[in-house]
Amino acid sequence: MSGSEAGSNAGPEPPRPLGAEAEAEAEAAAEAGGLALYRLNVDGFLRTVSGAWLGDSLLTVLRDRLGVTAVKDACEQGRCGACSVLIDGRLAASCTVLAADADGTRVVTVAGLGASGLARAIQARFLSEGAVQCGFCTPGFVVAVTELLTRRPDADDQEIREALAGNLCRCTGYGRIVAAIRAVQQERGILPIGGEDDVEWHP
Amino acid sequence: MHWSASGMLRPSTVGEAVEMLSAARAAGLEAALLGGGTDLVPALRAGQRQVQTIIGLRRVLELRVRGAGADRLTIGAGVTYTDLVGWSLSPGLARAARVVGSAQIRNTGTVGGALGSARPASDLLTFLTAADAEVLTVSPRGPRRQPLARFLAARPEPDALVTAVRLARPGGPATYLKIGGRQAAYPAEVSCAVVVDRVRHTLACAVGGIGRQPVRMVEAEAYAQAAVDWATGTVSSAAAARFADLVTEATQALTPTLPVGPHGSARYRIHAAGVLAGRAFARCLNPAIARPALAATLLPAAPHSDFLRPDTFGPDTPHADPATPHVDGTGPQGAR
Ligand SMILES: Cc1cc2nc3c(=O)[nH]c(=O)nc-3n(C[C@H](O)[C@H](O)[C@H](O)COP(=O)(O)OP(=O)(O)OC[C@H]3O[C@@H](n4cnc5c(N)ncnc54)[C@H](O)[C@@H]3O)c2cc1C
Ligand code: FES
Ligand code: FES
Repeated sequence: MSGSEAGSNAGPEPPRPLGAEAEAEAEAAAEAGGLALYRLNVDGFLRTVSGAWLGDSLLTVLRDRLGVTAVKDACEQGRCGACSVLIDGRLAASCTVLAADADGTRVVTVAGLGASGLARAIQARFLSEGAVQCGFCTPGFVVAVTELLTRRPDADDQEIREALAGNLCRCTGYGRIVAAIRAVQQERGILPIGGEDDVEWHP
Repeated sequence: MHWSASGMLRPSTVGEAVEMLSAARAAGLEAALLGGGTDLVPALRAGQRQVQTIIGLRRVLELRVRGAGADRLTIGAGVTYTDLVGWSLSPGLARAARVVGSAQIRNTGTVGGALGSARPASDLLTFLTAADAEVLTVSPRGPRRQPLARFLAARPEPDALVTAVRLARPGGPATYLKIGGRQAAYPAEVSCAVVVDRVRHTLACAVGGIGRQPVRMVEAEAYAQAAVDWATGTVSSAAAARFADLVTEATQALTPTLPVGPHGSARYRIHAAGVLAGRAFARCLNPAIARPALAATLLPAAPHSDFLRPDTFGPDTPHADPATPHVDGTGPQGAR
């Protein structure tokens, strides 16, 4: 997915109407088969999950059961950050979270960040600064950067590096990603005048 | 209590959790406790663990408590690394927590999970070993408190839940250093914690990654006790080198038990243990030790000298500045 899609048309499918009766039926069926049935709040929509394997990660359930492809699947070991989401506002790798344990939390993917002006600005700067090449890492980065700039709008270079250490990018070499973040800060009047020297990242 | 045939149980108290754990075991089901899931979920996915029941501890609010008494700190099993990072009551622990994995892992991984997984170079366990921490558990036989070292050495009790760890309030400087692959993706190869108590005139040093569990450096600790000028809490620069040598010797004696990792030969681990210990010691007691002199003492034609070069892992790089996290020289771009 490219950065521009993320905010607008990659939203979740509308929640399927599930009457109390149908739900009870599904529950009975799931219990009989020993399969999990629970609800996940994904990007503000309550989604019912049935038939999932007990050990399924949140990543697997989001993509394979709920069709939420805004989260990317790469390492499934918590190492690359492609599957980053917010859980109750905290950044997490959805492949290290048990789906059934996320029942009762608020899960936000890149698609659910769309309404906030900050997430839009980040996506726009990722595009204009060349921080998107193949784009595979972008959804995870946008979630991580949005979380960072919400918490620390004036994050400096070291803080940015620390906060993004869990997100891998194989294409950009990170320089353009940091430049995009600096551009967002500048645009919002946060980066001090003369801070432009920091925009280029010399590892 | 909420029972479900799906296999996912979500207790809301410690009592319920312990009951569920023993009920599942009595029914012949393989059960696992779930903290954040950073170790368990990938292991389930990879088929390394097979379980029929999972007891999720997320809703057990009493495990999320972090408290301070007159002379002790208590940290609940549900506390995450991120919760510890900003904790001013234990700067040493905060420092160890800050260099765990990535933001994603620190937000998710818990203290209880670290004890359950008991990794040989776990950052938290290495620090807590130096801090003489105790582990609090609850099982059907009731609550129990035991020293961390004994908890780690014993066979795990399959029906016990770790509820908290407890340690003394700090009585002096403490530091924590680690080295290994890319920090955000891989736990440390070798880790070292030094905890100084200027009130009781003691120094504790634990090294992780050189045995099944972090090991206390008893000889080096005894040397330090005599070498430190306790009135000022400082040492001579020669003392740091001697301290490092004693740690290297002690580690060498452990060689047969050294774990073998993809990057860490026994020789490498022995060398790294000495280097980390010397640096941690100097940071706590003699920040003024001239950097080039320290580097020269500690890095003579090292077998992996590129790994330990001051510019990738030294006090004079921004990465190793005490205020910054990537002590092993990794950033988003990865040092290697
Ligand atoms: C990419 C990545 C990087 C990592 N980097 C580091 C690192 O730099 N340093 C480091 O030290 N670790 C690291 N880890 C390991 C891991 O994050 C820690 O061990 C973490 O503390 C595990 O906590 P958790 O809550 O996620 O455990 P879980 O996965 O939930 O559980 C782990 C084990 O502990 C048991 N358990 C959980 N809670 C309890 C309890 N209350 N009582 C008894 N048993 C319990 C579980 O049954 C399971 O066997 C990393 C892991 C990943 C995936
Ligand atoms: S897929 Fe989750 S971190 Fe890589
Ligand atoms: S743009 Fe290709 S992995 Fe980051």
